Amino acid sequence: MNTLLFLIKTSLEDFRRNKIRTLLTSLGILIGISSVVLLMAMGLGLKRYISRQFESMGSNTIFIMPGQMTQTGPQGSFGGIQFDDKDVRTVKRVRHVLYTVPVYIKFSKISGDSDTKTFQIMATTSDFFSVTSIDAETGRLFNKSDEGKGAKVVVLGSKVAEDLFGSASRALGKSVTVEGSGYKIIGVAKSKGGGGSLNVPSVDERAYMPFKSSLSFNPNKKYFAIYVKADSSDTIGSVKTDIQDVLLKRYSSDDFSVAEQTEVLNSINSIFSILNTVLVAIAAISLIVGGVGIMNIMYVSVVERIREIGIRRAIGATKKDILYLFLTEAILLSTLGGILALLLSAVVVFFMQRLFPAYIDTATVALALGASSFVGIVFGVLPAKKAAQLSPIEAIRYE
Amino acid sequence: MIKLHHVTKEYRIGGEVFRALDNATLSIKKGEYVSILGPSGSGKSTLMHIMGLLDLPTQGTVIINGKNISSLTDNELSALRNIFVGFVFQQFNLINKLTNLENIVLPAMYARTPLSYNPRDYAMELLVRFGMKGKEFMTPNKISGGQQQRIAIARALIMNPPLILADEPTGNLDTKNGNAIMELLENLNTSSGVTVVVITHESDIASRTKRKIRITDGKIQT
Repeated sequence: MNTLLFLIKTSLEDFRRNKIRTLLTSLGILIGISSVVLLMAMGLGLKRYISRQFESMGSNTIFIMPGQMTQTGPQGSFGGIQFDDKDVRTVKRVRHVLYTVPVYIKFSKISGDSDTKTFQIMATTSDFFSVTSIDAETGRLFNKSDEGKGAKVVVLGSKVAEDLFGSASRALGKSVTVEGSGYKIIGVAKSKGGGGSLNVPSVDERAYMPFKSSLSFNPNKKYFAIYVKADSSDTIGSVKTDIQDVLLKRYSSDDFSVAEQTEVLNSINSIFSILNTVLVAIAAISLIVGGVGIMNIMYVSVVERIREIGIRRAIGATKKDILYLFLTEAILLSTLGGILALLLSAVVVFFMQRLFPAYIDTATVALALGASSFVGIVFGVLPAKKAAQLSPIEAIRYE
Repeated sequence: MIKLHHVTKEYRIGGEVFRALDNATLSIKKGEYVSILGPSGSGKSTLMHIMGLLDLPTQGTVIINGKNISSLTDNELSALRNIFVGFVFQQFNLINKLTNLENIVLPAMYARTPLSYNPRDYAMELLVRFGMKGKEFMTPNKISGGQQQRIAIARALIMNPPLILADEPTGNLDTKNGNAIMELLENLNTSSGVTVVVITHESDIASRTKRKIRITDGKIQT
């Protein structure tokens, strides 16, 4: 223990004497580890963000979507068929189905008082709010009566209200224009958090309207997806297979997917782990470059310290002692780079979070520190071996 | 304590074989104060390296305390160097990034078995004995040559070795400091019974010792 502390102290003293060299060498590792950490933070953040969106749909939920959704990701999803009223009625008749919520989705420009921005329009039924536990922040949500009448009303997500009117209270009672028609804002939904500006909008970045009110821009009365809520977690399995069976009478198995929330989440997880692995593997190349930098400087350090090696050998250090001396230095050098990289990444992620849901977890921190010390070992071992193999007599005579 | 038996050491420089030590036989007993005297290139440093277990002979045997060292592994040789020999060099060979105290204690860092004393306390004691109190936290490059050699001697003593090998210990010092260092070494021999071997090319230095071993062209003159 004492010896290890002494080794570390000696290395740190060396770093202090060669500040610029130490920083430049660590820079290589810093760049490598930062790229790995930032890519992981982005991948992880994105995964959490999307997962949260699906989680916010509530438990016991089944998604009926067009295309195939497999364990490795949606293939050709969101293409192919569109559901209609007949499908909704079929699904509704399945036993243990509590809610059947058809959803039509369109990205469209919404004009407020002065601003116009593109948001997701979700035309659905009032049951959608029950399934997803969305409440009104101010005003009210639309109800069955609005649905029946096809009232030109809209409920804005908190972000939409904020972007177009400044605040929820200011938006209430005003009108927005969507696809050429005016809609009265009857309420603003409570924020569910998890902002971001990606292609996948959060529940706060949507405008909700009764399905019938959207027919002006959805004349064929088509649905993008159907959300189903089973009456309990015990029946969810049978509900899923029953829905599959009834839909197969109309469509082929490739045309649609019926997935539980957990399956969707699993699917998202597997897509992101593949994506992350690929990205991190690419970033790891820069780690190798950083490692070569360490190896280079360690060789220089060995040559500069040949005499010291000789002295240490003369007073009793074994080859292994010399090996550890240099290996400790290489590991410290690269771990220093790793620590600096984590600090830098934390700062970058902090600012990035305004635009992108990046996130650093403890596993990423552990990986960064582990990877940096591993690089130190791998690229430090050859110079350290060279130092250890020096003959004491030649080393001590070295001028 | 040390016996060299028909020891020959050859170096290959380029394609040529250079014989630095030629059939050297000598014996040094415990408690002796010996000098090895010879001009430069005579092989006296090679002799010291072999006696100090820093190098192995090409031919012949080296016996330390009755044990032939040719069968020892590199690790065992390192361990033996650690406890058996204390080196004092012409160039002092201190590590400048360590403090004087750390330099003195350094051999204890490589001790294989726990020491019966605290090396730091012993180092402080040596510093006081050598008149170097107050210099413990300075680095060697901040003190004079004579002071550096005292630190080097303290380092050589920290493991309480039975043998001190001093290679031209006064070579980089003025007469006054040189004398002081020689007195210090003599003192160690007389008061502590440490075997002291001084390698030198100066006959005045050699004449201070109780026994002179002359070496020329790698051969020991008797």
